[in-house]
Amino acid sequence: MNIELPPLVALLFFPGGLFLLSAGTVYEWADRKLVARFQNRIGPRWFQPVADVVKLLAKEEIVPDGVNPVLFHGLPVVALVGTLTAALYVPMAGMAPSYSFTGDLIVTLYLLSLMTLSMGLAGANTLDRFSLIGATRALTQLFSYEAPFLMALLGPAIAAGSWQISHVDAYAQGHWWMVLTQPVGFLVALVGLMGKLELPPFDSPEAETEIVAGPMTEYSGRGWALFRIGRDVELLVGLTLMAAFYLGGLANPIEFVLKTGGLLLVTAALQSLFCRLRIDQTVGMWWRIGILLALAQLFLLAFMR
Amino acid sequence: MDTQQEPRKTFVVPIGPQHPALKEPGHFEITVDGEIVTAATVRLGYVHRGIEKGVEQQNWTQAMYMLERICGICSHVHATAYALGVEALAGVQAPPRAQAIRVLVAELERVHSHLLWLGVAAHEGGFDTLFMYSWRDREMIMDVLEGLTGNRVNYSCNVLGGVKFDVDDTHADAIRRAIDFLEPRTHHYLKVVTTDETLIGRTRNVGTMTSLEAETLGTVGPTARASGVPRDIRVDAPYAAYPDFPVKTITATAGDLEAKFVVRIQELFESYRVIREILDKLPAGDLAVRMKPRIPPGETVSRVEAPRGELFYFLKSAGGLNPDRVKVRTPSLCNWGSVLATAPGHKLADVPMLIAGIDPCFSCNDRLVTVRRRSTAETWTWAKLRQYGIEYYR
Repeated sequence: MNIELPPLVALLFFPGGLFLLSAGTVYEWADRKLVARFQNRIGPRWFQPVADVVKLLAKEEIVPDGVNPVLFHGLPVVALVGTLTAALYVPMAGMAPSYSFTGDLIVTLYLLSLMTLSMGLAGANTLDRFSLIGATRALTQLFSYEAPFLMALLGPAIAAGSWQISHVDAYAQGHWWMVLTQPVGFLVALVGLMGKLELPPFDSPEAETEIVAGPMTEYSGRGWALFRIGRDVELLVGLTLMAAFYLGGLANPIEFVLKTGGLLLVTAALQSLFCRLRIDQTVGMWWRIGILLALAQLFLLAFMR
Repeated sequence: MDTQQEPRKTFVVPIGPQHPALKEPGHFEITVDGEIVTAATVRLGYVHRGIEKGVEQQNWTQAMYMLERICGICSHVHATAYALGVEALAGVQAPPRAQAIRVLVAELERVHSHLLWLGVAAHEGGFDTLFMYSWRDREMIMDVLEGLTGNRVNYSCNVLGGVKFDVDDTHADAIRRAIDFLEPRTHHYLKVVTTDETLIGRTRNVGTMTSLEAETLGTVGPTARASGVPRDIRVDAPYAAYPDFPVKTITATAGDLEAKFVVRIQELFESYRVIREILDKLPAGDLAVRMKPRIPPGETVSRVEAPRGELFYFLKSAGGLNPDRVKVRTPSLCNWGSVLATAPGHKLADVPMLIAGIDPCFSCNDRLVTVRRRSTAETWTWAKLRQYGIEYYR
């Protein structure tokens, strides 16, 4: 589906801006609710993520001693802007991407990494010991999943013969679902997305029972709210990208809701199935198994073509 | 943190007094080199309540209710240890039916305590699903205890010389139903902790303690039994109705966190068996014998097996209406050493699980210790202790 929207509308309302913020909170709610139901809990009400954000925005933001205030205030904005920008290049809500150029896949992936990078820097910016350890872990984890995740998303791109998201999406709509033709890549990408979002069992950078909230320990109020929205949007963008690449593309809003919802169900199930991995276990898993799987698939694709 | 100081060579991660991993206040200083722990120290005493001193102002009956509130999880064992001690001082024997009901409630309490621990330990490892399910199942026992005693915690089932209530057929059926539900669930949990790859990755060969170390560090309860030290007061020095309803000591040899999981879960099966046996063969007779308010002078030691290990009571009577001295040593106090000794060399991520592994109970073991010199010997009054506490925390 393709509708021409004036650039300002695209940026502020749909598919950028307001739509992303509200859809992001809806997806966060769905994720929390699903995990809660898997864990035999009731889970939050539908407006809880919005209420959390509104409350945080209204609260006083405490700037701790010893931080660089520019970085402290700037990093949450950078993180949010990165994910919001990334959303413009993906087929959000089943519409054609607002902006598209050759190689936008790489740009999108790096815009998504900006989130983790900002969180790592935000943690390293404070003097808090929990933040420092959390930042170290967040960045260590970034280096472990990033390469396999990128390679897993290159699989469909190679199959489609283009590094442009809209072309891959169009190719996926006309062919077999790539989750069937490239199951290994799908698996690596899905688990990589969970690592990117620091969802359990990859939540050691912010393991509550060890280092409180990790890099986010010193954040309160506005900065914390922005990071949270940023992560919601990242979840939405990541799911969209996965659905467009591996689940037969996104032709219309109904397909978008069904496919991303299905993916969310799988990630929620995975979140509730496992014990938290230690950071050394996470890194070991990615470099010993994840990268090998992704490489094997990449070579296979390169030879098949 | 003071930024003016010279940069220190060691990086200390403070856990507590307020920390999401701790449900009660305690302070751990974990020295780390990257993620590896190089040293660990503990500081306790944040929730000292002065109960030992407080009971000296109560009469013998009131003191039991105060002592029962030492612990919210294993309250019944405190009252049992105290009641058994006072009965020994007075030369009174509670009727067999009362003793059996004491053991019944103690075993139900053990079941709820171990299920609670299973959830907490899983939560420390980030396995919230196991946490939620084990706590859901624990509710069955809480409901049974509430139906039996009227309270979810602090059952106050004991009186001096016996117990307060009887177990009739309705109660027995409710307990049997709960046990029938819990037994297959417990088998499932045993399977989870021994086969789930991610959980094993966090528990196997973590915090390993040989039986010699466990002996040297003076550990008690499941912590010692997981290292192969067969130490269980219910078996070594049976009290109440344990001579009639003997339990088997569950031990494991590995001594790591996984063994602690396995020992505690297998103890649940033993508790289920004893509970069923007591319900089937509950002796008939009175529930309590009358006791005089004055207890003859003397000293006694009373020991019971709490869910966390050996609970020790020293009671001294001067022949009056009040206890002269009550000394309580809770099992958690014996087990701290094992955490501090095993932590170095592990990852920081393992520390919360190591702490949880001994099933710590902070408020129970906080005591006031002063070094008394011969020249400055004095007896503290309740008012002085209270004033000291106010000054200390100011």
